[in-house]
Amino acid sequence: MGYVAVRGGTQAIEESIKRLKYERLKKGTVLDVHKIEDGMRGLIDQVMSESSLYDQSLAAIAIKQAEGNPEEAVFLLRAYRSTLPRKHVSRMMSSEDMQVERRVSASFKDIPGGQILGATTDYTHRLLDWELEKETEESIQDWLYAYHAENRLTEYDQRHMSDITNLPKVLDYLRSEGLLASCENNDLQPEDVTRKSLEFPSKRSERLQVLTRGQTGAVTSLAYAVIRGYGALHPTVGELRVGQLPVYLDHPLDEGQEEDSYYIGDFQATEVEMLVPVTVEKERGKKEMEFEIGYGLCFGQNETKAIAMGILDNCLENPNADFPSQNEEFVLYHIDSVESTGFISHLKMPHYVTFQSKLDSIRKTKEKASTGETGSGNE
Amino acid sequence: MKRKERTEILIQGSDAIARDFAKEIEMKYTVTVIQQPENGLVLLKARETAKKSLFYLGELLVTECKVQIHDSIGIGIVKGHQEELAYWLAVIDAAYQADLLETRVWSHILEKEKENIQKNRQELQQSILRTKVSFETMDVQ
Repeated sequence: MGYVAVRGGTQAIEESIKRLKYERLKKGTVLDVHKIEDGMRGLIDQVMSESSLYDQSLAAIAIKQAEGNPEEAVFLLRAYRSTLPRKHVSRMMSSEDMQVERRVSASFKDIPGGQILGATTDYTHRLLDWELEKETEESIQDWLYAYHAENRLTEYDQRHMSDITNLPKVLDYLRSEGLLASCENNDLQPEDVTRKSLEFPSKRSERLQVLTRGQTGAVTSLAYAVIRGYGALHPTVGELRVGQLPVYLDHPLDEGQEEDSYYIGDFQATEVEMLVPVTVEKERGKKEMEFEIGYGLCFGQNETKAIAMGILDNCLENPNADFPSQNEEFVLYHIDSVESTGFISHLKMPHYVTFQSKLDSIRKTKEKASTGETGSGNE
Repeated sequence: MKRKERTEILIQGSDAIARDFAKEIEMKYTVTVIQQPENGLVLLKARETAKKSLFYLGELLVTECKVQIHDSIGIGIVKGHQEELAYWLAVIDAAYQADLLETRVWSHILEKEKENIQKNRQELQQSILRTKVSFETMDVQ
């Protein structure tokens, strides 16, 4: 049975959209987009990462319009993104150029440059702070003034300044120790999943792009399943960095000249390198332990997602039919926010015709069964 | 001063510098706008560190503007929605492309602003370094 067009819902839809606006406004409060941008960093970062579009102001508008619902906000931003021209591709970015704001390792206590906690909830008590109810503009100005005064550079500081740009990477240390296989730069140009649909087996660039724009919850849950036993990985965080990455563009007519490139600004990103111990069979069946790397990089301070991305990256580099988390089609086709929430939520849209056809089939089956029963009773 | 360093200073420093440079040029030369400031996207290409391959991280919203002074075209491009700044950057870029006399005296202003940027960055780094862990080994009984 094919689809049949019906009409009659126009007025109801218009009133429903009005009702939606009423629900957002009924308490008479105007939510300032600047306040969303300034005070909801976690949600902004999540929405930008899942939208694959970095702009805090746009994310704040999307969050306001979506009444704080991330899946709707991501949908709005992805739709807006599709209306904009793609003007340039950046010069290659490297995390070595990151202006580090936070950097920790769970594998090594003493890393060159040290463990820098930065801003993190990791060591907070998770007790509700009732003082926030009473927070005022004046009280935060006092706090900020004191904080800046505390952090003002002294002459001693200036003399003993440590530079945290270009911090050495933990992986480089392992590579120099021979504990990790060294590899050369691979300059093969990446595929873009927003322009060309995924085909399996996928390329590494496609897998990383799908993982970085994946829904935070989905990426995290699948990685959690891996560690709980639905996968064959036991990883540790080699290094986690949060910081600002600079973006440069080549001149359209003068590509490749670094000194003549355009700097256009920085953006915040989280990078994670997961160390995964593996047993490798060497000559004469001799087995040795080695490390493999799982790589995670995403927009904003999204640490759980970046760790989960690193776990899934390594899973997909080592396909294993025993575990769905090591099946690239299973993982890559199910973690996109717009695709998964779009499909699941479309189930509530009218399916009258398809459902009627199923209902007819069930009725006919039941009729046949009852006729059969009556028939057999007559025999 | 090369474009990379110049745009770093103009974008990371005070907007007033870009504004003042652009106004100075506007007063003395004819600036033709080829492309009004408009929003667009820049696809971000990154190198991962596990296998050192390339992939696309996502897209960044930018504002881009193009202007012409004499026969030289200048491009202004900056992260986010910043129409005025994109225009000023385009005028400054065109001025350098046309090798206008004014650009030669801008260097010392840019160098001074670079020092301010570095000082601010040092302060930021110092405050971040306050969160650096100083491990102490505990006595083992």
